[in-house]
Amino acid sequence: MSIFQTISISSEPQPRISRRTLLKGSAALALGTAALPLSHSMAVEQSVAGASSGSPHKDKVIDCHAHLNHRSRATWEADDRKLIEAADKLGIDQLCCSTLTPHWPATLDGFRECNRWTADGMRRFPDRVLGYCYVNPGYGREAMEEIRRYVGDGGFIGIKLYNEYTCTEPVVFPIVELAIELGLPILHHASHSHYFVEDQPRLTDSGHLAELARRYPEAMLICAHISGGGDWEWTIKAARHAPNVLLDTSGSVTDADTVDMAVAVVGVDRVVFGCDSSMTAGVGKIRGADLSAQDKQKILGGNMIRLLRRRKS
Amino acid sequence: MIVDVNAYLGHFAFRRLRHNTATSLLALMDAKKIDKAVVSSADAITYRNAQAGNEDVAEETKGHRDRLIPFAVVNPFYAGWQDDLKICHEQFGMTGLHLYPKWHNYQLSSPCCRELVDAATERGMIISIPIRVEDNRERSWLLNVPDVPLEEIVELVKAHPKARFILLNGIDYTRCPLGRKNNGLPSNYAIELSRLSAVLANELGQLITNLGAERVMFGTGMPFNYPDPALVKLEVLDTSEPEKEKIRSQNAMAWLRL
Repeated sequence: MSIFQTISISSEPQPRISRRTLLKGSAALALGTAALPLSHSMAVEQSVAGASSGSPHKDKVIDCHAHLNHRSRATWEADDRKLIEAADKLGIDQLCCSTLTPHWPATLDGFRECNRWTADGMRRFPDRVLGYCYVNPGYGREAMEEIRRYVGDGGFIGIKLYNEYTCTEPVVFPIVELAIELGLPILHHASHSHYFVEDQPRLTDSGHLAELARRYPEAMLICAHISGGGDWEWTIKAARHAPNVLLDTSGSVTDADTVDMAVAVVGVDRVVFGCDSSMTAGVGKIRGADLSAQDKQKILGGNMIRLLRRRKS
Repeated sequence: MIVDVNAYLGHFAFRRLRHNTATSLLALMDAKKIDKAVVSSADAITYRNAQAGNEDVAEETKGHRDRLIPFAVVNPFYAGWQDDLKICHEQFGMTGLHLYPKWHNYQLSSPCCRELVDAATERGMIISIPIRVEDNRERSWLLNVPDVPLEEIVELVKAHPKARFILLNGIDYTRCPLGRKNNGLPSNYAIELSRLSAVLANELGQLITNLGAERVMFGTGMPFNYPDPALVKLEVLDTSEPEKEKIRSQNAMAWLRL
């Protein structure tokens, strides 16, 4: 199918951006034909889509990879609000957020503090922020307790792992087994470059995640930010034969064909929309992909909803 | 109207590009309602003799000059660049050129480069400088090409106040004099927006405040990049419609004398 067959360009004036227009081409919107102030257009759109509560899940747009700000940052509160405002502008209903420590490896106190702040973020932005529990697997029992604490009554939706360990190291296995027990996805920081990344010696790539996926075929593993700066073609190809590895589209790189190739190689059901704070890049890549509206909706929210429904707690 | 000051034709050595012929790029532009685009050779980034890429772009854009505005790629350390510049300007009708100091392995401060900038300025040509071609982390095992340091650009624009520069594919201008208000630099450079944030840190908004909307231009980096992220920035940018119109097209049209 040609890219142009899937780009819908209306001659009618439209709000600048919305969940529905998110699925279409950018062009008509870029012409400054907005008929309504932005906030109004979004409010109208939300009431139509019913995104905030009781909405038909199929219409939701979910950023699978977002972060709240560490509170050592003086402007954290305002910056958290900016994240929600940006999501409003871009038609993103929910953001799956973790809070990361500013230094790695994360200490026990460090990730506990971060998870408290993520939980607080869920209270400050109800139904907008969904929490990932961030742990350093090296803390073993304490890390497991932290996950159980926040997933149960805490309502967290998944686990975030960073670069403390490569995901194929045995220390990570109990976390994966707990994720399977609780029905949680694991969003794993990942990248593949053709050189040794000195400041991340235990960096995970999609090949590692594929290996972990073969060991644990029931696990739901999300390979973070295929557009995060590494060789995304390598990343996509290495994940091909691991059906329980999903690819997150986030990252600042806007190289053409990233989303298209991901869908072509692993299938549309294994690609999930994310921004990782690169918000216009995240939305723009999905807009630009040569895919049907139905496939884009799967990436924008449908696939993530499918994962989240498997939560057992 | 939308004018893209950052587009390419041809092949890139390390990754397949789609929409990289005049016909296919124009089709993409039609779909995105981009009216005109400045195009230069992607091949010339890695060709030893960049002029071969310029010849291809001149040929490819024939018959499409109402929409595709060809720029040259010139390496001031390669034999015959003066002849190439003359041909590109006088025969090919190229009204600007790209410099790739890191890919072509020279310093912006070198006498040869300064001579090229003077020669191009004498001809009224615009000088575009891509700060990067691709994210360094995705680089091939064959090479390691760093971004052009913004500090080197600062010295260049200071040294050539009569030249006109467009800075492409850059970010973090507000962390150096280039993006600051009252920076003491000549107003001889414009900044293209394809990598600038329009929400959260909103560097795009900061640049409009600090330098004025007259100094910002729309660009996508297509077909290296999806054009849509740049278009989304225009949509969410919190500024007046007249300022957006300057960024979309008016600034580029004025610089390109269209």
